[in-house]
Amino acid sequence: MNILEIKDLTKHFGGLTAIHDLDLHIAKGEILGLIGPNGAGKSTLFNCVAGVFPPSVGDIRFKGESIAGKKPWDLCSLGLARTFQIVKPFGSKTVLYNVMVGAFLHTGSTSKARDKAMEVLETLQLDHRKDQLASNLTIADRKRLEIAKALATDPELLLLDEVMAGLRPTEVDDMIAIIKGLRDRGVTVFVIEHIMRAVMALSDRVVVIQFGEKIAEGKPEDVTKDENVIKAYLGSEYGAA
Amino acid sequence: MSRKQLDMTLLVLAVAVCFALPLVITSPTYLQILILLFFYAYLTTAWNLVGGFAGVLPLGHSVFVGIGAYTSTILSNQYGVSPWIGMLAGGVIAAFVGVLIGKPTFRMRGAYFALCTIAFAEGIRVMIENIDSIGPIKINGPRGLLIPLKGDSFWNYQFMHKEPYYYIILTMLLLVVALTWFISRSRMGYYLAAGGEEPEAAQALGINVARYKLISMAMSCFLTALAGTFYAQLMLYFYPKGLLGLDLSFEIAFIALIGGRGTIAGPVIGALALRPLNEFTRIYLGSQLPGLHLVIFGTILILVMLFQPKGLTPPLARLYDKFAARITGEGGAK
Repeated sequence: MNILEIKDLTKHFGGLTAIHDLDLHIAKGEILGLIGPNGAGKSTLFNCVAGVFPPSVGDIRFKGESIAGKKPWDLCSLGLARTFQIVKPFGSKTVLYNVMVGAFLHTGSTSKARDKAMEVLETLQLDHRKDQLASNLTIADRKRLEIAKALATDPELLLLDEVMAGLRPTEVDDMIAIIKGLRDRGVTVFVIEHIMRAVMALSDRVVVIQFGEKIAEGKPEDVTKDENVIKAYLGSEYGAA
Repeated sequence: MSRKQLDMTLLVLAVAVCFALPLVITSPTYLQILILLFFYAYLTTAWNLVGGFAGVLPLGHSVFVGIGAYTSTILSNQYGVSPWIGMLAGGVIAAFVGVLIGKPTFRMRGAYFALCTIAFAEGIRVMIENIDSIGPIKINGPRGLLIPLKGDSFWNYQFMHKEPYYYIILTMLLLVVALTWFISRSRMGYYLAAGGEEPEAAQALGINVARYKLISMAMSCFLTALAGTFYAQLMLYFYPKGLLGLDLSFEIAFIALIGGRGTIAGPVIGALALRPLNEFTRIYLGSQLPGLHLVIFGTILILVMLFQPKGLTPPLARLYDKFAARITGEGGAK
């Protein structure tokens, strides 16, 4: 069953077409990687799915129901959570507070929200930082916190926007393990990533977009051999060789 | 003694002292100063619901004080309704007006929102100053409204001595502080703080930020208007320039900023620090240099913002933590 289906999605900003006629689907329990050069429209696609922008044309279906034009907070209640490429912690609050904000989605009780937040922090091995201010965290921990907040809302589909950018190689390995762990807990993951090693290790399937259009789709190892993808990343002279 | 017991003991002690003060201080002048101190602490606490927790900076809250005062006074003077009932009516109207103002302006951020609330407040003040009556309702333009003396009467919200006013405003202050304490620990408090700090991130976590801001605005305006009725009954006379002017709005914001925006004790600490100063500069310097107290406020605000940008509450809280750790013998009290 497909948890997310995107049909003929087009998004214009004035005269600029950021996404053009894009079709995409994610099966339940899958990890789908989305790659593409800078400015390809990856984050715009995420923002359309997460309800930040309504699509100009086309439809987005989540669990079979059309969500085009729905607001971010409604989507979050439906089970669709996301992280931001530029992390947005509530900097003046503690790590635990940050995660509790997410955990309050399904409970009005402060103590239940705290338990839920602690559980999520333990899963992400961030519990030893719970009393630190979010603004004092290292970049690796901030990225984890970003995931923790989203995870506390109990999502079925999690959109991760470059959660590994700026991490050291060992931290990337940790993050890969964490994301795989999420999938094992039943969360479907849709991930934008630039670090190819991570994309290869993580994704069941990869979609490549360029100039707002899908140019390739398939298993990670096949996609990297695709001529169009090589052209998109390295320039046309390499593709011909 | 555990930390929790210590906190509770001190809190109960402080409240008991507040309730006992009129037994010691019998001078109406000093009681009046204390009443106004609590009045400002109350107003700032109510303001803090939206100005502190929701992270916006409204600078026109005097309008809601005015709505409270005018509503209850018009109802009691012209229709014989008890000010206690008029107080609630004023609160409801203020909440409604607050939502009306908040709905379009919450889209703006920072200084733009602040400017907009000033514009609304000044607009309403100028309107009131230029209206003598709306149909049968007498507003009396710039001359303001006078409440006729009716003698000691709880029903008429009039007392010949200061003590009843003191206990009324003290109770109101305690209730509103308890309310903010409760809210800050509930989902609403977390959502307001999150929406104030990073609206986009908050929305992605399922929070309808605009709706929560409006709810907090409605609550804040309702509570602010209750104090307006109190002020009217305490003074028995008010006029637009004094009640609806920017001085009052700014003083509320000053107290919050100096005490600590978004903290529970901040408004009370701010009022404790600034109100006596205000009174004494007015008493001793007011005749020579009117407005000097605002200059002093400004200077203090600049100093506090330079050295304690989060207000006086965080350093005081740290001091208290140290003190508590010594008393309870616990090493790392949080």
